Amino acid sequence: MLAISIMNGLVIGVIYALAALGVSLVVGIMNVVNFAHGELYILAGYFSYLFASALGLNFMAAMLLAVGLVFLLGILIECTLIRPTYGNEMYSLILTFILSIVLQNAYLLIFGPYPNKPPLWVKGAIDVFGLFFYGNQRLAALISGAAVIAVIFFIIKKTWFGRIIRATSQDREMAELNGVDTTRLNMLSFGLGCALAAAAGVILTPVFPVTPTAGVPVALTAFVVVVLGGMGSMWGCVVGGLLLGLVENLGAAFISTGYKNVFGFIILILVLLVRPAGLFGRAKI
Amino acid sequence: MICKKWVLASALILAGMCVLPLGLGIYPQHVLIVSLFYVMMASSWNLLAGYTGQVSFGHAAMAGIGAYASGILAAKAGIHPWIGVCVGAVLAALIGLGLGALCLKMGGIYLSLTTLAFSQILHIIIVNEYDVTRGTMGLQVPALMADYSKLGYYYIMLAAAVLILVILYWMIHSNLGLNFRAVQNDELAARSVGVKVLQVRMLAFTVASAMAGFAGGLYGHYLLLITPEIPSLDLQFYVLAMTVIGGMGSFIGPIVGAFALNILAEKIRDYGEYHVLVFGLVALVVARFAPNGLLGVWRKFRSSTAHPLA
Repeated sequence: MLAISIMNGLVIGVIYALAALGVSLVVGIMNVVNFAHGELYILAGYFSYLFASALGLNFMAAMLLAVGLVFLLGILIECTLIRPTYGNEMYSLILTFILSIVLQNAYLLIFGPYPNKPPLWVKGAIDVFGLFFYGNQRLAALISGAAVIAVIFFIIKKTWFGRIIRATSQDREMAELNGVDTTRLNMLSFGLGCALAAAAGVILTPVFPVTPTAGVPVALTAFVVVVLGGMGSMWGCVVGGLLLGLVENLGAAFISTGYKNVFGFIILILVLLVRPAGLFGRAKI
Repeated sequence: MICKKWVLASALILAGMCVLPLGLGIYPQHVLIVSLFYVMMASSWNLLAGYTGQVSFGHAAMAGIGAYASGILAAKAGIHPWIGVCVGAVLAALIGLGLGALCLKMGGIYLSLTTLAFSQILHIIIVNEYDVTRGTMGLQVPALMADYSKLGYYYIMLAAAVLILVILYWMIHSNLGLNFRAVQNDELAARSVGVKVLQVRMLAFTVASAMAGFAGGLYGHYLLLITPEIPSLDLQFYVLAMTVIGGMGSFIGPIVGAFALNILAEKIRDYGEYHVLVFGLVALVVARFAPNGLLGVWRKFRSSTAHPLA
């Protein structure tokens, strides 16, 4: 029981971390919280389901296509909705909240309220250290999630593009003075943030099927992770995501399943009370 | 300060509202009662978002607290609904005060995230605590009066809405309202001239929460069945869309928006459950192209026709 809960916690924790990295990237650079993050996560799940099940594409191709499409959609959203709100964070909050409701209702209209799910990548289960049997698909999700996170860390910490991102999130005006086209960077990083939500979506949907509102708890948890880890901190996202995944699953196993999603919020409130800047955050003002 | 023309106009509208339902059937009366609930919700949310720049996603949750507090007291403890409604409003105010103390220091994004998380927690608790709240089945509660009549409820809701609007009008047009707008426009400048930014924000948040709790309590006793639909993100979206489409930051905007959207929702419902999608798309377009709402568009249009050279 304990071992399985920890394992489940790790799998979902990696996905939370991935979703939270997307939110954190956008918050760090643009000071915008995308409330439609969960709906883009779901959209990628629907896309991968459509391409793999209805069009019969290879699951890998379907996933890449889904992530690419959501990336483009993210860029479109940034250009049309977010860009005019620069400097007025209130309107970006309102716009993305409305967008999330619009998308939820559009999914409901198009796909219906039933759960949909793309085919599994791998079948069967294996024996983990002789302790318990664990689904191969979940292990694959854990590994691919961790791999995507590693790639993101590499991009942000080691490449030229990553340096631009870090510079801009540290000091926007200074980056502009050094020739960074921050408008284009906003567009790209918003798209990248959406693509990370999409990556989390395509990795997790073979395990947890998508419904029109299934993105809400994932997005909320991602927001909690971002605040918990400290706005804009990448390690905070990883540690916070894993922590939240573990707490939720252990709480569900030993305290109450109905309150699974509440444990994370309780942690959030405690953190806000004790250390408002988050675990890895720099204190503001 | 208050222009005579406006006093006359409001008195005429109020008189019109008093006689309006007399000639109507039960269904239009119901639509009007629900509209009045939304007037209270949208106007008090507007105090937060439109006047002090705090986007709360927990306003529907506050209405839910009012409704459930009053409903549980009346259904389980047999306390008179009117006392319950007041208890609900006070409880919502206290919770609003606590939430405000928790996250208002941190600035806009934190408030939005925390209120969103709070409304989700409340929803989960209500669904799970079946013994107390009867979960998604809904809690049956007694009516506000001995013999249930739509007309009676209409006048109660109208009186409540007028009360809330008068309080809001008074707040906005007093020195306090000046502080509100100062905080919204430039926090730093407001602080530099001695406005206590945090207190001003907390006050607005607590008052708006109390109003939502009050409205929710009345609404619950009107519906006679309280479900987790009241503290839901859908209802929150409704309130937000009404305010944004009507005109955020104006006194009349949310009132017009509440009536327009609620009546329109009933019309669209004839064709299917598309109203949320339609309102979402309209709200998206309005928030993007006309941040002051339809009222702002109308004002602009009027001033451009009145002064063609300006």
